[in-house]
Amino acid sequence: MGTGNGMRYNNSLTMSAIELAPLVRRLTSLIIPGGGVPYYPGGGPSAEPSLLGLLALSACGVPSESAKPLLSWVAGLQNPDGSLGVHPGHRDQGIWLTAPSAVVFHKYGLTGARDSALGFVTSLKSVTVANDPNVRQDNTIVGWPWVRGTFGWVEPTAWSVIALNVCGLGGHARAVEGRRFLLDRQIPSGGWNYGNPGLNDRELLPFWDTTGLALLALGGQPDVGRVRPSLDLLERNQGKIGSLCGLAWAALGLEGYGRNSTEIGRRLSAVMNDQPDDMLNAAHFAAGLIALSGRKVFIS
Amino acid sequence: MKRRDFLKGTAVLANAAAFGKFRDGGPQPTPATCPVTLLSVPDYGRDVEKEIAAVMSSDGLALKGKKVLLKPNFVETHPERPINTNPAVIAHVAHACLRLGAAQVVVGEASGHRRDPWFSVLNPGLRAILDKRVKCLDLNHGDATVVPNRGGQTRLPAFYLARPVAEADVVISLPKMKTHHGMGVTLCLKNLFGTLPGIYYGWPKNLLHWNGIKESILDLARTVRVHYNIVDGVVGMEGDGPIMGKAKPVGVLVLSPFSLAADATASRIMGFDPRKVLYLVQAAQFLPGLRPGEVALRGENPRRFATQFDCLDDFKGMRGGPFF
Repeated sequence: MGTGNGMRYNNSLTMSAIELAPLVRRLTSLIIPGGGVPYYPGGGPSAEPSLLGLLALSACGVPSESAKPLLSWVAGLQNPDGSLGVHPGHRDQGIWLTAPSAVVFHKYGLTGARDSALGFVTSLKSVTVANDPNVRQDNTIVGWPWVRGTFGWVEPTAWSVIALNVCGLGGHARAVEGRRFLLDRQIPSGGWNYGNPGLNDRELLPFWDTTGLALLALGGQPDVGRVRPSLDLLERNQGKIGSLCGLAWAALGLEGYGRNSTEIGRRLSAVMNDQPDDMLNAAHFAAGLIALSGRKVFIS
Repeated sequence: MKRRDFLKGTAVLANAAAFGKFRDGGPQPTPATCPVTLLSVPDYGRDVEKEIAAVMSSDGLALKGKKVLLKPNFVETHPERPINTNPAVIAHVAHACLRLGAAQVVVGEASGHRRDPWFSVLNPGLRAILDKRVKCLDLNHGDATVVPNRGGQTRLPAFYLARPVAEADVVISLPKMKTHHGMGVTLCLKNLFGTLPGIYYGWPKNLLHWNGIKESILDLARTVRVHYNIVDGVVGMEGDGPIMGKAKPVGVLVLSPFSLAADATASRIMGFDPRKVLYLVQAAQFLPGLRPGEVALRGENPRRFATQFDCLDDFKGMRGGPFF
């Protein structure tokens, strides 16, 4: 079993293994005996922080043997149809988590589980509706939903495109349409929110986290010009982002395109080191670790 | 029935009793059984903890030794738009609960648009003004309890209710007084969307939209136990709410043990006839407080706050009054 922890970015954000060690220890301290990471200390184990935790451990060079119990717990969440649920008690809920699970299974060499997950991801389609003149978007483009049988949104679509890209299926018709979906949902002046760029001729506000994630999904595309407003938005707002979640995903988005992320890296590191337990969202913390590791986890 | 048709036909439907008998086995409304108190709060700098505690106590809300969950309304954040329940109101209510002897006070929210809890209940600005005994919980990312759908308006057999909401002894809803581009107004009943974790329902909670926003509001109103309601109308939102509207200073908190009575009263203060708001009328099938005769107004004279919220053209048919 190999972790295939990915190429390293060449930028100033990257921290050394020694610098990362205390943060890695804090993440591993959150793993519940028997497997699984909760969103917040004291909670029950959940899929998302466990998945991102596994990617963070891999990116930080933690031997795959050490991650094996957590990986087994995650693999045990997979349903016969390849989907993944929020936790063992509600395996039919949170199918959007299947895409990140494919990335994890790929990184850890679980090819059977990966292919099963990818099969589910490519079969899952968002519902489309007729276009609405009051909404600046093309509602006929198929993306991915949070919940089966509903509309497409930025985050599940970005995760699905990332999974297809990372697993070598970036040319799949669904990935191509997924990228079209994301470009359509980009706010003209830059960034993404949950998935509505504008309403009644007015732009809606971008979010740092979805902007970073969508940029990662569109990473490696030849036409960088299409996403330049979003990259510029993140770059010029580095000093304004205050949250662990926002800093982590913005850093990942910027470093994915080789943009300057010095300021954001410094702030991310500080926030992670100072994060009190009751505010410690393990999924966001793991995303921060991935950013600080400098590894290309989400861009193939 | 479509909303526009409904608005045209409000004369026929003006009496909520036209929808049939009240159900639910809850308190059967009789005239003036729903106390609603109006508290004057000219700005968020005024400390109203004692007044809130006094009103809750006089309304019979017993908190001694109880686990209390406060459910504010956080959707997303904009520097110039009052989208969310103001942190000062949350703090005053939380501290009032401690004053009344609550064993545990938790502020919990599953924000509808933003995943990042920094823009919701884990914002340092909120935490800084809360007593250290008050905990803040991000309900989007956590465990849920399956509760059967007691409404039956949607096809959803059950709801995945955030576990802290299900396990609280007392739930207090703290919505913002706003217009809503799909429902007309968003107040206490609509606020219950934020009891459902995003990891189950997504951002936004599109599953509820596909099942009908109105129907989902009604189902949640029958399914989620709420013991008290305080509407933040100090500065509301008019126009293209609940996100894109403008600030509307009103200077009032609306307090009531009865969700529909609070919503109906807040609507009247906003200049809207609650009997023309379709989901409020349908909620009156099983909740008391829609009709003026079912509400016992206390505190400040409502004429002091009565105003006219601007709204989208589609909802101008909801306007009415004077009500007070």
